[in-house]
Parts: sequence; C-alpha cells; structure tokens
Amino acid sequence: MSGKPSSTATYSPSLTNLRKKKTINVGGSDWVRSDGRRIHQCRPAFLRTGAVSSASGSAYAEFGNTKVIVSVFGPRESKKAMMYSDTGRLNCNVSYATFATPIRGQAPEAKDLSSTLHKALEGAIILKSFPKTTVDVFALVLESGGSDLPVVISCASLALADAGIMLYDMVTSVSMSLFGKDFLIDPMSEEESYQDGNLMITFMPSRNEVTQMTVTGEWSTPKIHEAMQLCIDACSKLGMIMRSCLKDAASGTLD
Amino acid sequence: MHFLKMRGDILVTPGEVLGKSVELIAGRGAYVSAHDKTVYASLTGFISTTPALPESADQRPTVEVTGHKAHGPVPEPGAIVIARVTKVMAKMASADIMCVGPESVREKFSGTIRQQDVRATEIDKVDMHSSFRPGDIVKALVISLGDARSYYLSTAKNELGVVSAESVAGATMVPISWTEMQCPLTGQIEQRKVAKVGA
Repeated sequence: MSGKPSSTATYSPSLTNLRKKKTINVGGSDWVRSDGRRIHQCRPAFLRTGAVSSASGSAYAEFGNTKVIVSVFGPRESKKAMMYSDTGRLNCNVSYATFATPIRGQAPEAKDLSSTLHKALEGAIILKSFPKTTVDVFALVLESGGSDLPVVISCASLALADAGIMLYDMVTSVSMSLFGKDFLIDPMSEEESYQDGNLMITFMPSRNEVTQMTVTGEWSTPKIHEAMQLCIDACSKLGMIMRSCLKDAASGTLD
Repeated sequence: MHFLKMRGDILVTPGEVLGKSVELIAGRGAYVSAHDKTVYASLTGFISTTPALPESADQRPTVEVTGHKAHGPVPEPGAIVIARVTKVMAKMASADIMCVGPESVREKFSGTIRQQDVRATEIDKVDMHSSFRPGDIVKALVISLGDARSYYLSTAKNELGVVSAESVAGATMVPISWTEMQCPLTGQIEQRKVAKVGA
C-alpha cells in the first residue's frame, strides 16, 4: 500500500440541532379543531348510491374534504388463468386520482390500501352464493382530505349492497388519531400528518363484530379501550346513516 | 305469530334482523347465523313471508328478501340458458352464455357442450359438425359448474338444441326435423341438433 495518509474526519450529528417536531396541542374536551369540530365529533357524511350507471353497483361518499367513488362489477366470469374455486372471489383495487393530493402525483399507499380493503370486505360477503365468479371492486379517491381508507371501506360496502351482492352485514369504518395523550376522531389530512399514532376499526354494526383493527404508534391499554369504544359507537351511527341511504335509494326507484 | 302475515312493504338492508331461526326458515336473500340462532337479511329489498305447506313436517314460514336490485344472473346447475356457439371441435363445442332463464347477463360466461351431452341416444356416434356450427343460437341446460374455464352445458333433451341458425347463404333457416334445417332462399338442407320449440 502506498504511504499516502487517508484523511479521517468525524461526521457525528449534534443533538442540539434537532428540529422540533411540529405537533398539535390538543386542549381539553372543549378544544375546537381547525374545521370547527370538537375532538369527538365526526365529519358530516354525504352518501349516494347509483353514481356509476355502467357498473353493477356504485356509491359516492363525501366526508368533509375526502371524496371517494366506488364501482362494483360482478359477479362476472373469473379470468381464464385463475384456478377453479367453488366459492366466489373478491378483487379490490384502490387508486388515487392525480389531482387527489395537494402535491400532484400518485399517492404512495395505494397498493397497501387495496389489500387492506380486501381484508375488510371479504369477511362480510357471502362468497359461496356466487361460486366460480369474481366480484371486482374499484375505488377511486377523488380528493384525499384525511381518513381516506375508512371512507373507502364504508363507501365500498355501500356499493356492494347497491350491486345486490349478498352480504352478512354492512361494513363501516372510522379512524382515530393519537396526539400524546389525547385523540381526535375522524382526522383531517393535516391532523393525520402530525399524529403520533392511529387506530382504525372496521365494524359490522348489526352483528356487533369487528372485522379489522389497525393500530399504529404507542398506545397504552386503557387508551386503546377508550378509543375502540368511541370508534365502535361512531361506526354504529355511521351504519344507520348508510342504511337510510340504501332505503332512500330503494324506495326512490320504486315510486 | 305476526310473521305469518305477508309483509310486502318493509324495506330491509343487509344485516338487519328478520327473526329467530326457531320461528323462520331463511329463503333467498336471508341467512341464518348459527351462533345466535337469528335470521338476518343479506340483500336490500322487501320482506315477503310464505307460510309453510300444511303437509310439510316443518311448519315454519319461509322469509325472503325480494331484492329491488338483485345482482345480475349467474349460471347455476339446473338453469336453462341461451348461448351462442363460438367454436366447434371434434369432441366439444364452446359457447358464450348470453341469457340465464329469462334475463340477459351483463357480461358473457363461457360454456362447453361435450360430445356426450349433445343428445340422449347414441352419444358416442355424435358428429359435432352435424349438430352445431359457429354462430348458432342454442338453448341448453347447465349440468355443472364445470372447470375453471367454462360451465358444462347439455342439449340432451327434445326442447334443447339449436333454436336459430344462419345458412351459408345468410338467411335464417327453418327447422324441418330434429336433425335438419332448411334455408328459405336456396332450399339447401343443413344438419343441426334442432330444439323442439312450442307446444
């Protein structure tokens, strides 16, 4: 080896230069959020079925700034390459419109959301009622205003009911953001970006069963219990709104 | 006891409770949950209750949800379907199922008619090209779900088989017997497995 000395320099970071993480300081239970809601108040839900006439069933949901449209096709023939199955199959696809996020471009989590949506819905569909065929669910997020996946799940279950697919029960979903010791239900996108943790519950209101629960972040056990109770209660109320939307659509077409 | 009355005006959504399984049988659009012995709805629609037949052992009425919007028809074993023949080969013919019963499907399903299912007699002497041609409209019975690629269909009955076919000249042919059809323009006779339509 030639005798040229190699320069050694340290590059350890200094703790004092850490930027303080911006967070939202949630006050007591009277604290008002930036859109005027209290900490345990959900956004008003606007739901309509039959938005897409060429699909077997469809639904449009608007929860504040989160706008989602879901189309359901089927039961239709499975692709030739698929193996035989004596129960039906579910195929889910979630995609974001390019104008859905403030910064234009594909939102990163779309593939994850597709498999989460599949897991949330497959427990509620009576698959053996349509053997050998496939039901395709396509969800398009038109505007991502926070709490996207719960809105997609609720809207997809409404679209499945509109398509006449046999279901064990409706599926409703609500999520909660954790900020230190406090939580906010049904977070908006700016609240989600500062959250310390998240809890999402997918619930079947009439059968009182949770089909899926996703928890991220650091939660103490009593906090998880309290958050679950609040989410389940919100899911039950959302379930009643979804049922009345279906009944309005059904009686509207018969008049 | 009030479940025995026909209730045609109550709208239900999936998951709503219809009654206890000790009092009701779940018909179409409803299902029984074994662990809490309750009958729930599985479709959106109106409840209709049919009382049990007086001579049957089980006296529970059957509750159904007549879907205001049921999903598009799907071929099931035992259903009569209308299909269009797409390919005819030595031992089988492929067909696209267009209607299940009286309703048309939203998207076509694939069906196969095997040589042994074309007719009921002398099934090993069937010549597929004398029974079907591509483009023929056939009425068939779904015998099974088949394999991954297609349903298995059968025309082995008098009222099943070709209902409409075009001759080589392009005219719609007239059936003259259960094995022959004639072109009205040229008078040419072509071989088909003809369905017996009408009384």
